[in-house]
Amino acid sequence: MIKLLWLSGITCNANTHSFLNYPFIEQFLNDFEFIYHPVLDSSYTLQEIVSNEIECDVLLIEGSISPEFQRADVSIEDIIRKYAPKVQKIVTVGTCATFGGIFSQSDYKDVTGLHFDKEQKNQKFENLFDKTISISGCPIHPEILVNTLYAIKGDIALRLDNFLRPKEFYAYTVHNGCVRNEYFEYKVDAHQFGELEGCMFYDHGCQAPFTHASCNKILWNEVNSKTRVGLPCFGCTEPTFPKANLFTTKKNMGVPENLPLGVGKRVYLTLAGITKAFKIPRLEKKLLDD
Amino acid sequence: MIKLIEKIEGEAKLNFSFKDEKIDFVTIEFMSTRNIENILKGKHALDALVINPRVCGICGHAHLIATVQALEDCYEDLKISNKAKIIRELTLNFELIQNHFKWFYLTLLPLFGHKQQVLKATYPSQLMAKAIALFGGQYPHTSYTIVGGVVCEPTEMDIIKLNHYIDETIRFFENNLVKTDSNSFLLSDKIDKFLEYEGDLITILQQIKEDDMLALGKSYDRFISFGENSYFKKAKSIKTKVNDSVSIEYVKESDIPSSFAKSVTFKENYYEVGPLARAMINKAALVKDSHRKYGDSIFSRILARVCETSQLLAHSKKLLERLDLSEPSYINPNVDISKINGSGTSAVEAARGSLIHKVELQNGIIQNYEIITPTQWNLSGGTKKKQGVSQKAMIGLSDTKTAELVFKTFDVCSVCTTH
Repeated sequence: MIKLLWLSGITCNANTHSFLNYPFIEQFLNDFEFIYHPVLDSSYTLQEIVSNEIECDVLLIEGSISPEFQRADVSIEDIIRKYAPKVQKIVTVGTCATFGGIFSQSDYKDVTGLHFDKEQKNQKFENLFDKTISISGCPIHPEILVNTLYAIKGDIALRLDNFLRPKEFYAYTVHNGCVRNEYFEYKVDAHQFGELEGCMFYDHGCQAPFTHASCNKILWNEVNSKTRVGLPCFGCTEPTFPKANLFTTKKNMGVPENLPLGVGKRVYLTLAGITKAFKIPRLEKKLLDD
Repeated sequence: MIKLIEKIEGEAKLNFSFKDEKIDFVTIEFMSTRNIENILKGKHALDALVINPRVCGICGHAHLIATVQALEDCYEDLKISNKAKIIRELTLNFELIQNHFKWFYLTLLPLFGHKQQVLKATYPSQLMAKAIALFGGQYPHTSYTIVGGVVCEPTEMDIIKLNHYIDETIRFFENNLVKTDSNSFLLSDKIDKFLEYEGDLITILQQIKEDDMLALGKSYDRFISFGENSYFKKAKSIKTKVNDSVSIEYVKESDIPSSFAKSVTFKENYYEVGPLARAMINKAALVKDSHRKYGDSIFSRILARVCETSQLLAHSKKLLERLDLSEPSYINPNVDISKINGSGTSAVEAARGSLIHKVELQNGIIQNYEIITPTQWNLSGGTKKKQGVSQKAMIGLSDTKTAELVFKTFDVCSVCTTH
């Protein structure tokens, strides 16, 4: 049985609750044991975790880290220092634990992720770098966390990107699989909220074409995704989350400042000119009308 | 004697003092704060729709609805379709329902010496999360409702799916919590007769009776609720006397020296918020009968939270009948938010009680933001002379274990409190 310690830093607990949305949670709890979890019954109390050294295989960290922040009167950094050297793997659960996230703007001093302060690599826990896997997302997708833990259990070597995220999940962009793709490809740029049609990239701040995540491949709650319902992707798996003016596309001379991954401005403009030549009636009218 | 209370979406410290082997006073301490109100300052108004759900992982949706309503309150004349209003109310209901299931099976059962029933918590709460995701794309942490309406455009097929999620959740409730059909349950008005049913709720209520715990957890018998929609009312109830003349302007927040949480009062008095308060204000028959017999005790508080689950499921079905999909989901505001100067206030009923948001905008930029969460109401820390609601409920008990039980019947949310 793999023993897990779920440790919370500065957090809203949404990763905890997103994890509870994993459909086969009973199976998971048969295969893993939580020595501590913030909501589920576990073998030890938090008090016992911070005052003893309990045997453990994987350390899960949720929430951002600050030298000032304490859990049960013990500095979060000290708890990490105590458990991290012994565990086989560390998983940063969510964008706060990975990059600092939203609470890097809180009043605590020097708030960061375990290894990254946004894109910048931290020196502090460098010795733990090689045993860490990052599962970014605000919150994490339960299946991505759970399957990563099974990969650790099964000793499957995961290929990781520069931020230690498993490529299997983060090599995709949120754009992949979005049902609004055609409006993007043919640059049908008149999106209005509250409609089935249109792409939010051109005006409404959608970051899907340059955000690494599988939201439209592995759906949320097994049913949907933000972009499918017409809500822009806010780039919550990325080090820069949250950026400012999230519902507006920043443009320079009419060209979006952030272009799809790997696409240069010149090529984009050329391509935009060509796609504008398409007049596709199917995409100009309402999807479900005659 | 200090006791660390764990698994309340974080922790809190209760510092008990005893006199004649009874709890004489208790202070409640939260050890941290994230200061989200400061994070919001200087940000574009609409960014609050993305930031504020991140106050809380279990009731973040209530923060989203409170945010959009506070921003819309900054407008003089903003049109929202009935359809958007109904969809917002539905998704908020679903969040309350998922919370209540989790609270009962994960938090409450262990306090009565039972094992947590994880699957019974997650199965219905996942169905409700799916129901939110149908409109919002995901749960937790969607921002699908924006100034002017909602971003989604549900179809009849979505509604068929949604009905299945709700019906399956109702079925789960009927097979587990109270084993009867929901209609007879919702018509129950006598608590003694109600206890003749079977089910997980009945087991706990019987245990309270058998273990002589019926008098535990009584407080001021003073309730308040500020959120208004087609189900909840804005009013207060002093014992059973309901009065709807309540105004947010009399709500006051003040610092507690020993804690990062702030106290909240209405006209200088502490009030209980949450399902029991809402049931008293709505004059829910079964809860009222329980209250008549057992007062504002843990018995009534637990009953009220579970009853509300069933009531909200039934009410959501009714709301769906009123949903007209031909109405617009979103109406573009006549003034762009970047031109808005003004302030707005909102109140919504979150899982644990009234949640209040206040915002000030200048050219669409947030100048000031205030959040008052339900747990702040229930856990306001008073002095010995003037105790808060949960403080009063714990005084006179003879051990800290029972005090923890009483404390947790308020369904404490640490992350919300330490926003």
